[in-house]
Amino acid sequence: MGTENENNPNLRKILVITLTSIIGAVLIYFSVMCILAPVRKLKEINEEYTFQPDSKNKIDERIYSDSAYLKLLKEKSFLQSRIAMAESDSIYVTINIPDSTIDLESCGVVVHSTKIQKMSISNIIKSGNEYIISSMLSKPFSIENSFSTIPKEPLMIKMAPKDTSEFVPDAVPDTAYHEPVNYVLEMSNGTRIFVYQAEFPHPGDKMHLFKFDMKYRLQNTFNAIKRTMFFKVPDYHPFIKIRIPRADAKIIYRALPVHGQIAVYR
Amino acid sequence: MENDNIVINPDQLPRETEQPAIINTDVQVNSAENLTFLRKLQENKRLFSLIRTLFFIFVSALALLLIFLFIISVVPALQEIPSGGRTHLVNSEELRQSASYRKQITLMKKDIDRLNIKYNNYTTGQSYLVINTTDNLFYLYKNKKLIRSGHCSTGSYMMLKTEEGRSWVFKTPKGKRTIQGKTTHPYWHRSDWSYIEEGSPVPPKDDPSRYEYGVLGDYAMSLGDGYMVHGTIYKRFLGMPVTHGCVRLNDEDLDIVFHSLNIGSKVYIF
Repeated sequence: MGTENENNPNLRKILVITLTSIIGAVLIYFSVMCILAPVRKLKEINEEYTFQPDSKNKIDERIYSDSAYLKLLKEKSFLQSRIAMAESDSIYVTINIPDSTIDLESCGVVVHSTKIQKMSISNIIKSGNEYIISSMLSKPFSIENSFSTIPKEPLMIKMAPKDTSEFVPDAVPDTAYHEPVNYVLEMSNGTRIFVYQAEFPHPGDKMHLFKFDMKYRLQNTFNAIKRTMFFKVPDYHPFIKIRIPRADAKIIYRALPVHGQIAVYR
Repeated sequence: MENDNIVINPDQLPRETEQPAIINTDVQVNSAENLTFLRKLQENKRLFSLIRTLFFIFVSALALLLIFLFIISVVPALQEIPSGGRTHLVNSEELRQSASYRKQITLMKKDIDRLNIKYNNYTTGQSYLVINTTDNLFYLYKNKKLIRSGHCSTGSYMMLKTEEGRSWVFKTPKGKRTIQGKTTHPYWHRSDWSYIEEGSPVPPKDDPSRYEYGVLGDYAMSLGDGYMVHGTIYKRFLGMPVTHGCVRLNDEDLDIVFHSLNIGSKVYIF
């Protein structure tokens, strides 16, 4: 018994050290895999949108690092993207990063415009290869999925009265209620657009927004863990995070079709 | 050899010699009390084990929380560490003087001009109406300039359901529409839902009771599929989502909109 008691602290120490080492190793492995994710994404983008040499029309490749040419290329990409969207009859969004504006358009007509108050862009989009990113932005992004604190259509269900005695006139809608507006638009090319209300949330809404943010983060983390468990590099999603007034954020979210399109000018 | 024996290793000195010469008696008493408390605690094995377990749980929970925060916050931030791939702008003068460069720039400019013309052609020079269904506002444009704006009423987003399984959603359709018809002194041909909503029996299709006069204002403009822009007798509800899908305007706004838009004019609803 005495020997067992004397060995116990050592055994415990070994256990603690082993456990800490395992956790540390797993965390390091997970972090390394996650850090590799943007590198893999960048490689994928480069492969998809890289310059294709034309044997007939030879171009000096130095032109792709010329500022005047790249400026024109960006403009052309944005126009191509807008035209592709304008050809459809639906409503779409354009994000102009240099001007910090976000426009809601329909068939080439700007129907609503708002100023972006704060913006953060992932490094891949912000400082990736100019030619490759411009080529990527020459096609509009399509919404694949969206997560929001507000419903897309605020449907209220009303059961028809059996007779006139049961009829109750509709109550006047409460337009004073200010629900918090945050949403994430997941695009088909992997890019994610986060739209946050610029106003500070009401005290009662903070928990609601925290839960929304946590739920989204957890979902992504879970997906990343799932992939790393099978020794696969997790998916990386380039992002654009913007803060706009609550009312405008709501208008844009409600106006955009479920699989709406977005063009970005960088 | 004797001198060697005199050398004293400072580590071997008694610990008391490291203490300050003057020791406060209160501190002495306190440390003595602490010692006795610790001794008592060690003697009370159950209490000691409980405290140890609680401490272990606390440290484990803290470690788990830190790991959790690391995974959900620190790791995504680490992904944004700047990596390579940035374009190094060259702007070579030699390149800019070359004929192929000038050709490429000219081609690019031509493309941009062509695309700009194409895009601008989408914007009609005629009058058009823009309806914001979220805030229940309308904007009337003429020659691309805003000439009037104000409140309107749009769909309520109410879903009416019957026990028989029939249902209607009262929402204003979004997107681009055109004015398909213009009417003065319109009448309302009541649909089935307007009776069902009140709990009234639904009359036959062409029953005279289905026709109501004076409820749609002086003018109505058809947007197709039964949707219209018209006036209202419920002016206090303007600015609110209360309609069955049509767009309601007040009399003055309706008059200007009606006389500004033609058949074929575009109405953008978002």
